[in-house]
Amino acid sequence: MEFKDYYQVLGLDKSASEDEIKKSYRKLARKYHPDVSKEADAELRMKEVNEAYAVLGDLEKRAAYDQLGGGYRDGQQFQPPPNWDAGFEFSGADFSGADMGDFSDFFANLFGHAAAGRAGRGGRAGPRPRRGEDHHAKIVIDLRDAYQGAPRTITLRGARADAQGRVSMQEHNLTVQIPKGVKEGQHIRLAGQGSPGSDGSAAGDLFLEVHFKQDPHYRVDGRDVYETLPVTPWEAALGASIEAPTPSGKVQVKIPANSQGGRKLRLKGRGIPGEPAGDLYLLLEIVLPPADSEKARQLYEMMAREMAFNPRLAMGV
Amino acid sequence: MPHTEIVTGVLLDEVALDLDELAQACSVDALWIVERIEAGLLCEVTQPQRFSSAELLRARRLLAIERDFDANPELAALVVDLIEEVGRLKARLRKAGIDEK
Repeated sequence: MEFKDYYQVLGLDKSASEDEIKKSYRKLARKYHPDVSKEADAELRMKEVNEAYAVLGDLEKRAAYDQLGGGYRDGQQFQPPPNWDAGFEFSGADFSGADMGDFSDFFANLFGHAAAGRAGRGGRAGPRPRRGEDHHAKIVIDLRDAYQGAPRTITLRGARADAQGRVSMQEHNLTVQIPKGVKEGQHIRLAGQGSPGSDGSAAGDLFLEVHFKQDPHYRVDGRDVYETLPVTPWEAALGASIEAPTPSGKVQVKIPANSQGGRKLRLKGRGIPGEPAGDLYLLLEIVLPPADSEKARQLYEMMAREMAFNPRLAMGV
Repeated sequence: MPHTEIVTGVLLDEVALDLDELAQACSVDALWIVERIEAGLLCEVTQPQRFSSAELLRARRLLAIERDFDANPELAALVVDLIEEVGRLKARLRKAGIDEK
């Protein structure tokens, strides 16, 4: 595995004080906070920063890390010597097994046991739950999956101990049935897919936070779906029955005569399924054919002559 | 070809969490949740029986802000209020077909 230079991640040198470590962590936590950051790799960087702080922000872990990694550079191949952590007592670190899936193999190998041995957070008193910890992950799905339901495979990372007790991060695939009718931001709870419990007790659950892939054609608000539907000037003016694509397949839509651009047509119950189902809104966008041929120009000129239409009349000009 | 097991879950808002389940999902003691409910920081009602996706997300955001910045719960709630408001405004932009960036 590769050595991780946590000082480099936090932009510090090895002599940094506790206060400097905390300040640097907070500065980076603000910069890469997934809810506000505009950095493309914010989520990944935030995980690295959290991991670095989980070690350097904890006196015991920092001491062990400093002793162990003094001569190593970031990315250098690294294997900890046996019993490297003898004499150090890891306790009270502010991360949980739930965070471990976000951390590197390097971290899991060195400190995995400390995380696995504790539960609860925030220094509150209370009995330690023996049930495995719940895990959280995000899943990005197509809007169509919410209409129809679909199996989707996700890759998760988690700390696993081998027969010798060595902990490492391992990836595993999980195929999840996306329930029909799921909404943006909703959670799917998968019982028993979190951390294993200790002493034969139940495993934790996995919570998947659902997000929809950005779609160039559809916008979603709760269970309602919005779609911009291009129409010709004559379809809008004269009325027409046209075919429109929707997330659940093509439908015939009646365009009322004298429709203006921006008119909203509601297709009741054709949004995301549920109780009640959402609606599908078609926003008409009138698209003008280009006047790029003699015939097209003649037709536009005839309209200009014959129709005496002033769209700026209400503006007093 | 290996058999792939398909795992089926439940939608959180159809089967909401109770207090202990919410605490477990956030890796905190139930007291941490109760304190924030009583202070009106987690949800609008002061004696909720069940918790939905929105409360789970809010609780985890509160926890992250408190932990990352050593923020007191009220300040963390203010930050989360603002994050949620930005989220609502971005959703309105998307709905109107305007690129939020």
